[in-house]
Amino acid sequence: MTFTQWRRQSWNIAIIVLAIGLGLWRINQLPQFGAYEARTFILGILPIALLSMGQALIIIGGGINLAIGAEAVLINVLSAKFMEGTDFKTSVILAIVFLLLGTGVGALTGWIISTSGIADIVVTLATSFLLVGVAMFVMPQPGGGINQSLANLIAGNDSNFLPPLVWLILPIVLIWIPLYRSRLGVAMYAIGSNKDAAFLSGVNVNLTRVELYAIGGLFAALSGIVTTGVTLSSSPFANISNTATLNSVAGAVLGGVSLAGGVGGLVGPVIASLVLFFIPTILLGFGIDPSYSQIVTGALTIIVVLLGGILRRRTGKIK
Amino acid sequence: MTSLKNFASNRVSKSIWALLAILIGLFIITVLLDPYFLSIPSIGTTLLLAAPLGLLAAGQTICMLTGGIDLSIAMIATGAAFIVSVKSADGLVEGLIWAFLYCVLIGSINGLAVGLFGMNPLIMTLGMNAVLIGVFAVGVTTFLQGSSTMPDILISASSDIFLFDPITWPLVIWIVIGGLFLFMLTKTGLGRLVYAIGDNAQAARLAGVKVWQVQWATYVICALLGGVAGILLGGQSGAVAISLANSFLLPSVAAVVIGGTSIMGGMGSYTGTIMGTLILTVLSYLLATVNSSEAVKQMIYGAIVLVLAWTYARISRNS
Repeated sequence: MTFTQWRRQSWNIAIIVLAIGLGLWRINQLPQFGAYEARTFILGILPIALLSMGQALIIIGGGINLAIGAEAVLINVLSAKFMEGTDFKTSVILAIVFLLLGTGVGALTGWIISTSGIADIVVTLATSFLLVGVAMFVMPQPGGGINQSLANLIAGNDSNFLPPLVWLILPIVLIWIPLYRSRLGVAMYAIGSNKDAAFLSGVNVNLTRVELYAIGGLFAALSGIVTTGVTLSSSPFANISNTATLNSVAGAVLGGVSLAGGVGGLVGPVIASLVLFFIPTILLGFGIDPSYSQIVTGALTIIVVLLGGILRRRTGKIK
Repeated sequence: MTSLKNFASNRVSKSIWALLAILIGLFIITVLLDPYFLSIPSIGTTLLLAAPLGLLAAGQTICMLTGGIDLSIAMIATGAAFIVSVKSADGLVEGLIWAFLYCVLIGSINGLAVGLFGMNPLIMTLGMNAVLIGVFAVGVTTFLQGSSTMPDILISASSDIFLFDPITWPLVIWIVIGGLFLFMLTKTGLGRLVYAIGDNAQAARLAGVKVWQVQWATYVICALLGGVAGILLGGQSGAVAISLANSFLLPSVAAVVIGGTSIMGGMGSYTGTIMGTLILTVLSYLLATVNSSEAVKQMIYGAIVLVLAWTYARISRNS
C-alpha cells in the first residue's frame, strides 16, 4: 500500500487498534480465554453489528433511519412468536419470509421518504412508533421461542463459535462486496455525496434510495432473527428499539461513516460495534455500575463525531 | 421587515386553517363518542395535559426553525424534575435555581457543540440523551439521593385550578411562557435571526450574523422550556421516575411537524405547533376513549403523524 492509501485507511486502522486494545484488556480481565469466551464476544456484537451495517448503508446514501431498531424489534417479535415449537424446516422457511418482510418494510420506508418529500428523520421517527406498536400488538409480553437446531445454527453452542462468526462475515461477503462493486454501490456514494449532481449525471435517486432502505431493512431483519436465535425469546419494548437505533448510529459513525453522506464502508461499523461492546463489559468487569457505560458510549459517540468533523475540515473536505 | 414576516408566515397561515379544521373534526368525533368530553372539567384536564407538551414542542420548534432538532429534550425535562424534587429539600427556590442552571448547562453544551464545532444536531442530542440517562441512573444512588416526590406547591402549580374551571395553573403558565415565546419568535431580533439561519446559515453568516451565538441561544431556550415542562410533568405525576418525559419525545417532534414547521429550518410558526399540540392531545383522549391498548395507540399515533406530515408536504408544495 502506498502512503496515500494508508492515510485513507487511517480511521479504520485507528478503530482496529482501539478494538484490539480493548479486546486484550477484556481478555486480561477474564480468568481464562477460550473458544467459549470468543463465542460470547461474537454473540455480544452480532445483533448490533448487523444493525450498524444496515444503518451505515443508509447513511452513506445520505439518509438516516431512526426506525431501524424498531424494524429489528418487530422481526424479533414475529420470529419468536411464529417459530416457537416449529420443526427445523418450517423455522427456516419462516426465517426467509421474515427476511423478505424486513426488506419490504425497509423498501416501503424508503418509498415513503422518496415520494412524500418529508424529511427522513420525521418519516422514520413516525414509522419507529408504528413498528414498535405493531410489535407490541403481535406480542404484548416478552416470550416466544425458536427451533433449537436453527438457534444452534445461528448462535452455535458451548464453545462452537463458528456459526455466529459466519453470520457476521457472510453479510459482508454476500451483500456488501457485491454491492460495493455494483452500479448500485456507485449510485449510493454518488447520491450521498451530492444528490443533485448524481441526479444530473443520470442516477435514479429515488430508486437508489428505496433500494438502500430495503437492504437496510434486510440487515435489520437479520439482526432481529439473530436476536431471537441468541436470546431464544423476544422483547417488544420501545426502549430496546431506541437503544438499538442509537447504537446503530454510534456504530456507523464510529466505524468511519460520515453523517454528511458519501463516505465510509461496512467493515468499519463491525469493528466499531466490538468497541461499543467492550466498553460496558470492561466497566462491568471492574464492578462499575453499568449505567456508566451508557455515559461512556454517548460521550464517545459525540467525541468521535466532533473529532471526525474537525479532522475532515482540516484536510479540506468541508462537508 | 413586513416582507420577512410575510415570507415566513404566509404559507403557514393557510395551513393553520386546515389544522383548525382537523382539530375541530377530531373534537366533534370525540364528543360524539364520549359526550362527557364537552364538559368543563374534562376540557380543563385536556388543556392541563396539553401544557407540558406545548412547552416541550415550543423548544423543539425553535430548534427546528434553525434547522436543528433536540432529541435530548425529554431527558433534560426529566433531569430538571429530578433536581427540583431532590434539591428542594433545602428550599424550593434553591431547587428551582439548580434545575434551571442544569438546563442552561446542557443547553449550552448542545448549542456550542452545534454552533461552534459544527456537530450534527441529531447525533449531538441523541448522544446527550444517552449521557443524561446514564448520569441520572447513576445519580439516583449517588449525588441525587433523596426523596423523589415533588414539593406540594409545585404539585398544585401543575394541576390546580386557577381562579375558575377550566383554567388551570399549567395552562396559565403555558399561555404566559408560550406568549412570550411567540413574541420572541415573531417580533424580536433574535426571532428573525432564528428564521434567517434556518433558511440559509451561510447567507446569514456572510450578512454578519454570529450564527453560533444564535444557535447557542436556541438550544439554551429549548432546554429551559424543556425544564419547565419537566417540572410540570413531575408535579402532575407527584413523584419523578427516570422515564418521566420519555413518552413525550416523539409527540414533541410530531406536534411541530404537524404544525407545519419544516425540519430543514426557516419555515414555520409556533401557532402551528400549538395546533399540533392540541390535535395530539385530543387524539390521545380519543384513543383512550375507545379503550385501545398501548400497542394500538402507538400504531395510530405513528400513522397519524405520517399522514399529517405527508398532507402538509403536499399542501405546501402546491402553493
